[in-house]
Formats: sequence, structure tokens, C-alpha cells
Amino acid sequence: MAAGVAAWLPFARAAAIGWMPVASAPMPTPPRDKRRTQDGLIILNVSGTKFQTWRNTLERYPDTLLGSTERDFFFHEESNEYFFDRDPDIFRHILNFYRTGKLHYPRHECISAYDEELAFFGIIPEIIGDCCYEEYKDRRRENAERIQDDEDNENNNDLVSPDMTLRQSMWRAFENPHTSTMALVFYYVTGFFIAVSVMANVVETVPCGSSPNRVKDISCGERYALAFFCLDTACVMIFTVEYLLRLLAAPSRYKFVKSVMSIIDVVAIMPYYIGLVMTDNEDVSGAFVTLRVFRVFRIFKFSRHSAGLRILGYTLKSCASELGFLLFSLTMAIIIFATVMFYAEKGSTASKFTSIPAAFWYTIVTMTTLGYGDMVPKTIVGKIFGSICSLSGVLVIALPVPVIVSNFSRIYHQSQRAEKRRAQKASKEAGQALVTKNSATFENQHHHLLHCLEKTTNHEFVDEQTYESSCMEVSLTNQARSRSSSVSSSQHGLSSCCSRRNKRKSFHVPNSTTGAERHGSIQELSTIQIQERPLSNSRASLNAKLDELNCEQPFITAAIISMPTPPVTTPEGDESSSSADYLQSNIVRVSAL
Amino acid sequence: MQGLQMVAVVLVLCASLKLLHLLGLIQFTEDSIDDEQEQYTIRHRPEALEQLEAQTRFTKKELQTLYRGFKNECPSGVVNEETFKGIYSQFFPQGDASRYAHFLFNAFDTDHNGSVNFEDFALGLSILLRGSVQEKLNWAFNLYDINKDGYITKDEMLDIMRAIYSMMGRCTYPVLKDDTPRQHVEIFFQKMDKNKDGVVTIDEFIDCCQKDENIMRSMQLFENVI
Repeated sequence: MAAGVAAWLPFARAAAIGWMPVASAPMPTPPRDKRRTQDGLIILNVSGTKFQTWRNTLERYPDTLLGSTERDFFFHEESNEYFFDRDPDIFRHILNFYRTGKLHYPRHECISAYDEELAFFGIIPEIIGDCCYEEYKDRRRENAERIQDDEDNENNNDLVSPDMTLRQSMWRAFENPHTSTMALVFYYVTGFFIAVSVMANVVETVPCGSSPNRVKDISCGERYALAFFCLDTACVMIFTVEYLLRLLAAPSRYKFVKSVMSIIDVVAIMPYYIGLVMTDNEDVSGAFVTLRVFRVFRIFKFSRHSAGLRILGYTLKSCASELGFLLFSLTMAIIIFATVMFYAEKGSTASKFTSIPAAFWYTIVTMTTLGYGDMVPKTIVGKIFGSICSLSGVLVIALPVPVIVSNFSRIYHQSQRAEKRRAQKASKEAGQALVTKNSATFENQHHHLLHCLEKTTNHEFVDEQTYESSCMEVSLTNQARSRSSSVSSSQHGLSSCCSRRNKRKSFHVPNSTTGAERHGSIQELSTIQIQERPLSNSRASLNAKLDELNCEQPFITAAIISMPTPPVTTPEGDESSSSADYLQSNIVRVSAL
Repeated sequence: MQGLQMVAVVLVLCASLKLLHLLGLIQFTEDSIDDEQEQYTIRHRPEALEQLEAQTRFTKKELQTLYRGFKNECPSGVVNEETFKGIYSQFFPQGDASRYAHFLFNAFDTDHNGSVNFEDFALGLSILLRGSVQEKLNWAFNLYDINKDGYITKDEMLDIMRAIYSMMGRCTYPVLKDDTPRQHVEIFFQKMDKNKDGVVTIDEFIDCCQKDENIMRSMQLFENVI
């Protein structure tokens, strides 16, 4: 409940007079107001800037420094004000929190300074309002990452301790090439050989001039086969050595083997070894050629050397769902247009559109505005649809590509934000539950108000479980139709369920059967009952301040001790007849349900 | 081929029409472009403090405290029914307080203009907290008499009773039956309706309440709320 609404509690209580004439039972007495102190102004002097507010405003949140007696530690006798040696600019926001119930985060403030002030004044950050919460969390995360990065760098620099094993130092050398000269040399050597290997793969296929006894040009690879083979061997040697060294040095070999880079390494060197193993067999030479294609994967080894490539890969991976959707929608459009074109061109003679899959090629080429011209529609209808296809292709692909890119980036961030918000919501609510506690007086008066409502309607608030169990009991007693069985089940209900029910039922006795002479005791009993009730959790959702209720009314402890006896003695001792009547009436009531 | 040609032509036509419509050059129906809804906020400044002090039975300080709380929740100076229902519902989390809040709103909104300003609020509270028993009973009668014709009929009472019971919510002990409000209304009428004519007039009401000790005592319950 918002603290501001607490100001309306007097109104709600006054309006309860509307229930009085229809009430069937007398009302409980109102709680005594312990502190009827006049609301006064409090002066808060924060490093020279004076803030003033009502005392009640500060006491809305009794869990914070300003709302509790903790502020007395800062009371300055000579000037009769509370002095805090803190930042007045940030204090403005904290005081506004008391006034409006919403905590805002100023964007220009440093996040650490703000956090420190909040911690000093005992306010948890989870209650920051929705308008500023995202910004706050983002800044906090950035700050945490910055601190983490600093720590990592420091750790790396610090880890030059001599008691590092050879393995650890090797791994460090591989991961951070700039740490030692050896690592740098290794880094550049491998980079060089990757480049050489890729270049060799490319140059292999260039036609190198014709030899006299051949019809067509032969490629350089075939001409200088031995040279290329030696080069390839050297590169693969280097790569294999590098891979084995990395495998040896990895702190977690299993994790290393699973990582993407190691898979790329393996794929890069495998074809060579498979080629070595396989003989020059005609059957498998086709497969062998295919395997050579994989050598191009060596270029991906560059991603260890280039951070940009890594970021690109990461971006693609994270945008995978959006790209997938784009592809899906494109596929839909392609299928639609291909179908239409096929049926449109079906009639024309010598049509290239032999089937719908054949028409796919035309659709893709047209939509991406390539227009090779190897397939063209000849009928008028085909041309109309073909033009629609190319126009829609322009619209679908060419124009909104930047828009799609930014859209995807925006949607991506939005979904990230929604995820973040969902994750943050739980912690926020937990924080809010802690903070939005109201003062004890408020809780007392609110409980009294709800009591009055219970008395008016002669029903009581219970929590879910009790409600369920009482429903089950009702159905149980309904099944047992005969009086005796209903007696037994009602007695069973009286004795076996929680003692709270017993007490409640027994207290109905004085109210209903006795007259005026027991007035005083009725009042007493009902008072005790009321004060004691909250202990037994009759209103489960509103029992937040029970402990304070206990502390503030010391006479309640006496009532607790004497409580077990009245339910047993009063019905049996003093009013045996009325208890019998009561039991009778109870039985009647139960079976009537 | 004829059919497909037709389809092609129709398609092109529809697409161009839709494009023109999108561009805002032609419009099919009268749905005009949404213009900004002008938010017409009612602002109300209450009467001077001295006047209110004379009209109500509150002291200046009490009025000041009341107004501060009022203004905090309703900066515009008036409460409309929705806000009223929202505030009142926060005190009864287990049930649905909107029906009863509706009747309460009508009881406070004495000039029936759909909003409760601070004068109405303070006058109502003055009667409830500082008024004589007669005045309080008058106010309660006014609350129950939904159509303000001077008579409480069984239907009106049933409405009020249902509203009160709906504030209890579902989870009550004993379980709320559907005709519990009706039974309660019967009991009420048996007690109040002296001449058994099916309605309760103000005199019957006040008469009967003054004879009932419980009601008299409970009327004094909230004296020191402010």
C-alpha cells in the first residue's frame, strides 16, 4: 500500500460509520493512539543546505535512517536541527522519495556516489521508480563491468608470480600474446603461416601457362605440385604443433576441445592427414577433392588475431533469430511468386519455367534485383506478375535493408530489455515488499477497520488454505446426512482443527445467549479476543505488524496465557446449559450448510 | 489464362488503391486522422480556510492536515469516482470495494456533479467525526437511500448489503452463501420497518437506531480518528 494512501485511512475509518446500522454484532474497540504528537517541522541541514519537512513525512518509512530513531544520532543541539555531512544534491532525491513515495535516479550523477548515499540513508535501490530503474541498472552493470575489467587486467599483470607452472604460463602466453616476447613471436609466426597457407590454396588454382602436350592450361598447383606440397606440409606441421601445445596448456582440456576455435583448427588440418592416409584411389578421389575445400577454413584461424571478426561472429550468433525470421519471410515471398509465375508461364511454349522449384531461381534473381536474364517470362500475365515480383523485391530487400538492420537492432534491444525487466521485476518486488511497511499505528488502525467490517457482516477474513479446508469440511458434513454422523463430524471439526476455530466459536456464546448482565465481560472477552486474534493469523495477508502489536500492548501476554483455559472451562463450567445450546446451535448451523 | 489475367488486373488495382490510401490521398470512410485528445483537467481550489472552519467542526490545524493528505493523492483538487474507488479499494485487498465505494462517493458528492472536491470531503468528514448522533444517522440514511427519495426499499438495502459483503472477498469464515446478504436485509427490515410497509423512512430509521444500544455505542467509535 502506498504511503500516501495512509493519509486516507482516517477517511476510510470515518466512512465505516456507514456499516454501523446494519451491523449484527457490536464493534470492536478502536486501538489506542499511543503517540498523539503534534506534527511538526523538522529541519535537516545537509552540509549547509537546509531542508525542511514534516515529521510525519519522514516517518512514512520507519525502516530508513531518517524515519527511525537513528536520526537522533545526528541531532545538533546548538542549532536544534539534524546535521548530515553528506552531498546535498543527492539528498534532494532522497528527501523527494519520502515526499512522493518514488525514488528517482538522476542521470548526471555518478552511480557509485548515488549508491553510497542510498546505503547511508538505509534505502534499498530496488524501490527506484520504473522511470529510472532501467537507467540505474544499466549504469550499475557498466560500472561493475568496468571494475571487473580493471580487476582482470590487474590480475593478469600480477600473475607474474614465479610459482606459476609451465602449463599456466604457456596458456597465458597463448591467450595474451602481448605478455611476453616469446608469445608475440609465436603469434606473428602463426599468423604468417595462416596467410601463406591461404594464399597457397588460392594460387594453386590459377592457370599457370600451358604446357605443350596439353590442350588446356594447367593450374599452378599441378605444375609445381611438389613445391606446393612442401609448403602445405610445413604449414600443417606448424598448425599441428600449435594445436597440440594449446591442448596441452589448456586448463580445462575438455572445454578447450569443445570450443569453436579448436574445432576450426582441427578442420583446418584434417584434410591433409586424410589425404596422406588415403591412396590415390579413383573412388575416393572425388571425396578427397571435397575435403580440400575445408582447407579454406584456415582463414577462420585469423579470428584469434582479429577482435573484429570475433565480434562479427558474436553479433551474427546473437541475431540468429531475427535473421532466421527474415529468411523465413523471404522464403514465403519466393514460394508465392514462384508458384504464380509457374502457372502464368505454363501456357507459353518453350518456357524455361519447367517446375515451381525451377521458378525459385527466377524469383530470387528478380527479387534481389540481379536479373541474370537466363529465365524471362514471355506471356503478358507472366510479365505483369514478373514486374510485381521485381517491384516487391525492391521493396522487400533493397530499400528496407538499413531499416531492417536498425529495426532488428531495436527489436533485439527491446527484447533484451524485456528480459532484463522481467528478471529485475522479481528482485524489485522483493525489495518493495521490504520497504513499503507502514507504521505500527497505521497497521493497528487498518486492522481495526477490517475488524469492524467482519463484525458488520458476521463473517471473518481467512486465508486461502483455511478457506479451502473449510470448504472441504462443509462438503464433508453435507455428505453425512444423518444427525448423529453430523454431530460426530462437527465435533470432529471442533476438536481436530486448529485451536483458533475453537476459541472463535466459544466466544460466540456470550454474545448470542447472554443478556445485559454479562455486558462488561462480553466487552472484555471480545476485547481480549480481538487483541489475541492477530496472533492466530486469521487474516493471513495482513499480519505484517503482529510483532509490534505484541510489543505495544503488554497486557496481551496475560491473555495468551489464560487463553487455553477459557475455551475449556467457560462452556463447561459456568454455562453448561448454554454450551449445550451452543453446541446444539452449532450442530444445527453446520448441518444446515 | 483469362481468369489469371483478371486476377492480375484486380490485384494491381487493389494494390494501387491501398497505396493511395496509405499515402493519405484518398479516404474510404470518415475515420479522420486521430488528433490529439485535449486533456481537459478540472482544477479546483477550495474555499478559504476560515470559511471552511466555520462550515465544518474542524479546527484550522485539523483542516490543514486533512487538506495536505487530500492534495497529495489528488493534486488537481477533486476526486473523481475512479480515483475514489482506487483509494478505497487499497484498504480492502481481499475483496472488491468498488461497489461500496460507488455508494460512498455518491454520499460524499452532495451536489451530484460527479466529483468530490475538498469542501464536500471536509463537510462529510465533519458530520461523520464531529457531528451529533442525529446527524450521523442522517448521513447513514442518506448513504443507504440510493435514489435519495426519502425511503429505503428492500432493493436498495440489498444493493448496499451486497456491496458490503463483496468487500469481504471470497475467503471468509464461515463461507459466504449467495443469500447471506438477503437474509441480512430481512433481519434489518424486521428490526427497522415498524409499520411493515416495505420501506424504511428516516424517522423509523433514527427511532430504531436510537433504541439500539450497540448501534449507539458504535457511532461514537471513531471520534478521535483525526
